[in-house]
Amino acid sequence: MMNPNGASSSDGDGASHSSSALKKNSKKPKYSRFSQQELPACKPILTPGLVISTFVVVSFLFIPIGLVSLFASERVVEIKERYDEDCIPSNYTKNVVGYIQSNETNKTCVKKFTVPKKMKSPVFIYYQLDNFYQNHRRYVKSRSDKQLQSKAFEDETETCKPEDSADKSPIVPCGLIAWSLFNDTYRFSVKNAALNVSKRDIAWKSDRQHKFGSDVYPKNFQSTGLIGGAKLTTSIPLSQQEDLIVWMRTAALPTFRKLYGKIEVDLEADDEVTVVIENNYNTYSFGGRKRLVLSTTTWIGGKNDFLGIAYISIGGICLFFAISFILLYVIKPRPLGDPSYLSWNKNTAANMK
Amino acid sequence: MDSKRPAENSLNIESGFASTTRRGIAANSVREVNFGDQHHHHHHRGVSTKHVRYGSRATDSEVFSVSQREINDEDARLVYINDPGKTNERFEFAGNSVRTGKYSILTFLPRNLFEQFHRVAYIYFLVIAVLNQLPQLVVFGRGASILPLAFVLLVTTVKDAYEDYRRHRSDRIENNRLALVLVNNQFHSKRWKDIQVGEIIKLQANETIPCDMVVLSTSDPTGVAYVQTINLDGESNLKTRYAKQETLSKFPEKDMICGLIRCEKPNRNIYGFQANMEIDGKKLSLGPSNVLLRGCELKNTGWAIGVAVYAGRETKAMLNSSGASCKRSRLESRMNFEIIVLSVFLIALCTVVSVCAAVWLRRHRHELDFLPFYRRKNYSKGKVENYNYYGWGMEIFFTFLMSVIVFQIMIPISLYISMELVRVGQAYFMIRDTQLYDETSNSRFQCRALNINEDLGQIKYVFSDKTGTLTENKMEFQCASIGGVDYSGRKGISEEEHAGYSVRVDGIIFRPKMKVNVDPELQQLAQSRKNTIKCKQVHDFFLALAACNAIVPLVIDTSDPTTKLIDYQGESPDEQALVYAAATYGFMLIERTSGHIVIDIQGQRQRFNVLGLHEFDSDRKRMSVILGCPDKTVKVFVKGADTTMLSVIDESVNQNTLHATEVHLHAYSSMGLRTLVVGMRELNPSEFEQWHTSFEAASTALIGRAALLRKVAGNIESNLIILGASGIEDKLQQGVPEAIESLRTAGIKVWVLTGDKQETAISIGYSSKLLTSTTRQIIINSNSKESCRRCLQQATATAKKLVTVSGVTCDTEGTSVAALTPAALIVDGTSLVYILDSELEEQLFKLASKCSVVLCCRVAPLQKAGIVDLVKSRTTDMTLAIGDGANDVSMIQMADVGVGISGQEGRQAVMASDFAMGQFRFLVPLLLVHGHWNYQRMGYAILYNFYRNAVFVFVLFWYVLFTCFSLTTAITEWSSVLYSVLYTSLPTIVVGILDKDLGRRTLLKYPQLYGAGHRQECYNSKLFWLGMMDTVWQSLAAFFIPVFAYWGSTVDSSSIGDLWTIAVVILVNLHLAMDVIRWTWTTHAAIWGSIVATFICVSVIDAFPSLVGYWAIFHVAKTGLFWLCLLGIVVVALLPRFVVKFLYQYYSPCDVQIAREAEKFGNLRELGAIQKEMDPVLDRPQR
Repeated sequence: MMNPNGASSSDGDGASHSSSALKKNSKKPKYSRFSQQELPACKPILTPGLVISTFVVVSFLFIPIGLVSLFASERVVEIKERYDEDCIPSNYTKNVVGYIQSNETNKTCVKKFTVPKKMKSPVFIYYQLDNFYQNHRRYVKSRSDKQLQSKAFEDETETCKPEDSADKSPIVPCGLIAWSLFNDTYRFSVKNAALNVSKRDIAWKSDRQHKFGSDVYPKNFQSTGLIGGAKLTTSIPLSQQEDLIVWMRTAALPTFRKLYGKIEVDLEADDEVTVVIENNYNTYSFGGRKRLVLSTTTWIGGKNDFLGIAYISIGGICLFFAISFILLYVIKPRPLGDPSYLSWNKNTAANMK
Repeated sequence: MDSKRPAENSLNIESGFASTTRRGIAANSVREVNFGDQHHHHHHRGVSTKHVRYGSRATDSEVFSVSQREINDEDARLVYINDPGKTNERFEFAGNSVRTGKYSILTFLPRNLFEQFHRVAYIYFLVIAVLNQLPQLVVFGRGASILPLAFVLLVTTVKDAYEDYRRHRSDRIENNRLALVLVNNQFHSKRWKDIQVGEIIKLQANETIPCDMVVLSTSDPTGVAYVQTINLDGESNLKTRYAKQETLSKFPEKDMICGLIRCEKPNRNIYGFQANMEIDGKKLSLGPSNVLLRGCELKNTGWAIGVAVYAGRETKAMLNSSGASCKRSRLESRMNFEIIVLSVFLIALCTVVSVCAAVWLRRHRHELDFLPFYRRKNYSKGKVENYNYYGWGMEIFFTFLMSVIVFQIMIPISLYISMELVRVGQAYFMIRDTQLYDETSNSRFQCRALNINEDLGQIKYVFSDKTGTLTENKMEFQCASIGGVDYSGRKGISEEEHAGYSVRVDGIIFRPKMKVNVDPELQQLAQSRKNTIKCKQVHDFFLALAACNAIVPLVIDTSDPTTKLIDYQGESPDEQALVYAAATYGFMLIERTSGHIVIDIQGQRQRFNVLGLHEFDSDRKRMSVILGCPDKTVKVFVKGADTTMLSVIDESVNQNTLHATEVHLHAYSSMGLRTLVVGMRELNPSEFEQWHTSFEAASTALIGRAALLRKVAGNIESNLIILGASGIEDKLQQGVPEAIESLRTAGIKVWVLTGDKQETAISIGYSSKLLTSTTRQIIINSNSKESCRRCLQQATATAKKLVTVSGVTCDTEGTSVAALTPAALIVDGTSLVYILDSELEEQLFKLASKCSVVLCCRVAPLQKAGIVDLVKSRTTDMTLAIGDGANDVSMIQMADVGVGISGQEGRQAVMASDFAMGQFRFLVPLLLVHGHWNYQRMGYAILYNFYRNAVFVFVLFWYVLFTCFSLTTAITEWSSVLYSVLYTSLPTIVVGILDKDLGRRTLLKYPQLYGAGHRQECYNSKLFWLGMMDTVWQSLAAFFIPVFAYWGSTVDSSSIGDLWTIAVVILVNLHLAMDVIRWTWTTHAAIWGSIVATFICVSVIDAFPSLVGYWAIFHVAKTGLFWLCLLGIVVVALLPRFVVKFLYQYYSPCDVQIAREAEKFGNLRELGAIQKEMDPVLDRPQR
């Protein structure tokens, strides 16, 4: 660039150049609010006001929720019948295991109960097992999800031991879980009219559609060795074996229910329901209990007062804290940020005395 | 006239003759070429002396015997000059190629892994992963179990590989540099890595020296070479090195040089070298002034020829380049104890599980064969046999091992990784802090050690060097007293008025590089050519300043070809300041060779012959030069410390002047100036002859040369006429007094350890406000062990009395506390020789801990380390050492935290330090702000990590109790693995880096808040145990609320597992959220982001049909029960913590809490009022 007054400008250029060079070399950290840790921030402090209002809000939120859920739980009509002991003929009480394992004994058993309150359809039928550890590690691991999913993985039975193969061909479905499939059956009748029990859509849709293959058919199942439970019809694919699908969703806790079916009609109050039970499943050898449960549902699920009571108690405790903190605050307040509480000021004060 | 001089002033502030002992490291003076290296050993107590005894000082005779001792052939390395073949024949000396890279391509993987597995945590990790691979113990899938370890190893490996690649690259560049090497009588270029010991190498000006070599000849006819050692010890001034007279005239190309150098084995002492050289049948001794060390640069010398004696890794530079020491933070060592506690928890949990499993198996032993959920018997293979059952005992054992695998994250492995990340983040913010940036030296804060950030928040003792650390180490000539008249440079003269003195010679303007304030009156006198006594005195004074030194003038070209700058290079900044002053007043030193100097006096160049030079030594504390002046007279000029100078001045001649000078000296030194007295005498021919013969005799003497020379000097330095005195200011760095005051208010004890004299140290103590007029000084200054013992006993008694007395004054005055009536302990190095490493140490420590200030003067580098060790080994308090010079290295390495000042002195201290910064005053923001933050953050992060992992483990544990103790986990294995890696890790790291309990301004304003670190408020066993109790409660809430809610329902384990996963993650994040003090957008993003990420991850895991829990989360999240459980868990789990936290904060608030409230509600003003009231107590006005 041409510059008319070269001499003087060159001087200036030099100076500016050197200063810009200095700037370029400067290692001074660039200022930003982030790097200087000065980002805008909210600094909440547990002031009495904040704490008390938190407690008030929590209690005002929890007590109604508790009441609502308690109410919902109360609305659920539940009939629970334990039948494992009653269904043993009196001559077998000494030898329950022999009775249940025998093929000759008559396992049919009739029970009657009355409906305490009107049960609106659908009425869900569950069987409930106690002391049955479906969550035992050996049990939980003894399945092959791949095999269940697709025919192509029929031979994937490595994880299923000891129920993996019969006569060197794979068992489908393999594993202890499928092997121990629950096989009691129930038939209901009200006033001598049989009640229709729907067994459709008792398993999760997602399981039926994706987890259990429609091309996988039972094979070698319960064929040899020890018979653990129900047998499966070999002509129906696993995706439609809803009892199996329900059973394969292993329960989290040792006391659990599984959906057996649905009654699609209302049950009136004081109706006497007769149920014919085929008592096949062996829980006697390990002291497990069996129950039949008929229940309606609400938004909270089955009958369970725990959450309602818990919520009301939490709300109550919070209310208690709120009140006691208000009292504390009135009786013994501490000004916030009072410098006389600082340790070094306390020391001087102590020395002054 | 012969009346006695007044007894030495009781205050006796003899100020700094900083000449050659400034750093306790010797300087070689110009004339040394003739004498060799006899008394360097005085000062050469380098960093790595073998003496165990701190600071023992060799006497002359010792030194003498050392230098005269023959080096045994077994201990020596024999170097045949110009015969590398023969040199390397018997012993293969190291080649000159260097390798700083740790690994080669082949060794990288094994070595790197080996080094990584030095950490116990990784080994634990590995053992667990291996256990999990055993078929009996498979708990997690292969991938899930190895993933975390693999991830961590991979990250570290990549980082190490990159660092090593960079080292290799710089090695390659270094090794392929070229040097001229004599081959077949001609110099050829050769790569550095091919240079061998014994070869002759020629260096050109400004070249870097490729290996340690003995100088044979240089371009200078007297054999002088100047080197800059900045890469080696960081000192930027030029040092002189000499060729031996016997070799300097040889030209290797023409005359074959044959000889043998016998030198000591390679060692790391850069200030020591012992060797002798046999050449032409003569045996010469070689010292450190005859070697050029690798890494230095040849300056101001056309060329130099030398013979390589140490090469490659055996050079002193390489031997000294050890990596930074690996320090462990206090918090981390404390944490290891808690980790052991957690291991005990882990073992306890595993024991409980295996014992319960044992009982269960025993009770059900008859049912096991047929239990549908156990089925011990396998019927599938014809004969019935046990399946996966190894007997009762083995099953229990396996259960134990499996439970270790399941509960492994009880020991928070991820903690180590997140701690490292947190420290990196903290380091980033310290480096980027604009308040730690030094404008003058253009240096940022450096974080060299990455694992002791949090220690900065707990420092109790600060050990500081003085020169260059408290002071700027830029000496400035301030005032002079000449002929009894005080010329104190008046302030307020603007720059233009004294644009600096310059002379014009042959159209070229010479100008000194540095400007000095001038006193106009004095300048007038200096410039006038009148022949008054006053003028003559002024002339002689400045002539003395210009001539009596060891300064080398360098002429530097500037951008303007007609102007040249003169840069004075020398080892003593005091001398530099004096020469610059002389130049400004018109006595410009232009040229110095070994035989003469040229001084430009008011525009006239005059040549003076240097007939003799007696250099500075610590006994005489003065130096003298004998000049042959142009007018054929011979004069001796002497300058030195007032204590020794006043005794050699002829008192009869000019009593008034003498008296006036003494008054001025006192005045200067009480201003904190370093004073020097200048005297001179004209020698008559007979005196000169007499001196000359004895000087010649002494300098060629073989035995006791140093003592003889000293005697000669003592004879000539007598009956001097006093010319005057100079006052040099060693300016305190900006903000030092305020910084020290802040540190002391924060409860940190500041000890100053200096190589300076007692008086200088005390005066600096006053100016830096360490000492005040009310401070009672306890001085220990003894020459024997016995007197030390007595002194210490007396001093202890005094200190005790002081404390009690101050207690009394407290009562009467009612304003003060004991600590505020301070006692200062002042110890000197000689006493420390007797005290350190003996039983007196304990006594000294007790005494020192009673005093609020400790000053140690005249201490050698190793004594500094000894003092740090004295404190470190007797208390659990954290120590910090701060220094800038090579003499501070040992102290910096000894202290818990070492801080280097990256200023004037260069890099040695910085290289050894953990943190480096530009100014002493940055210590305040570093400790009070960043240290406080780092400590608080790290303490919280560690406790939180313990909690976070333990809560998860406990939830797993409770579930195991409901599964026949068979170690089933409802939570999927992927969630277990991702829990500490992904679900909860980011918030800890973000909070660990970014959370601030208090703002910078508050922390700086109330240094007392630093006490939180001293009291270990953020990490202690009480907090740990409270936290663990809270953990158990929270895990109980998180586990049992769903258990009761879902008892006897259709819930499957995957659904409830997902509920537990999400509940624990939300719980843990809300727990953190409750403790976060400062919510910035990053905190919000991290905490809420983690919760969202967990939901996404759980959903993704549940979207694989091949996994057990397919679609579980979507089913369960549709139910109201799920959300009610979540809400209930969070509230119930956090309730106790919330209540306790509030009660604690409200009714027994800590200082930090009060300050936070004040910060938030803006009644800082009130705090300020209190502060002002306290100020007079803390800082009493001086007199």
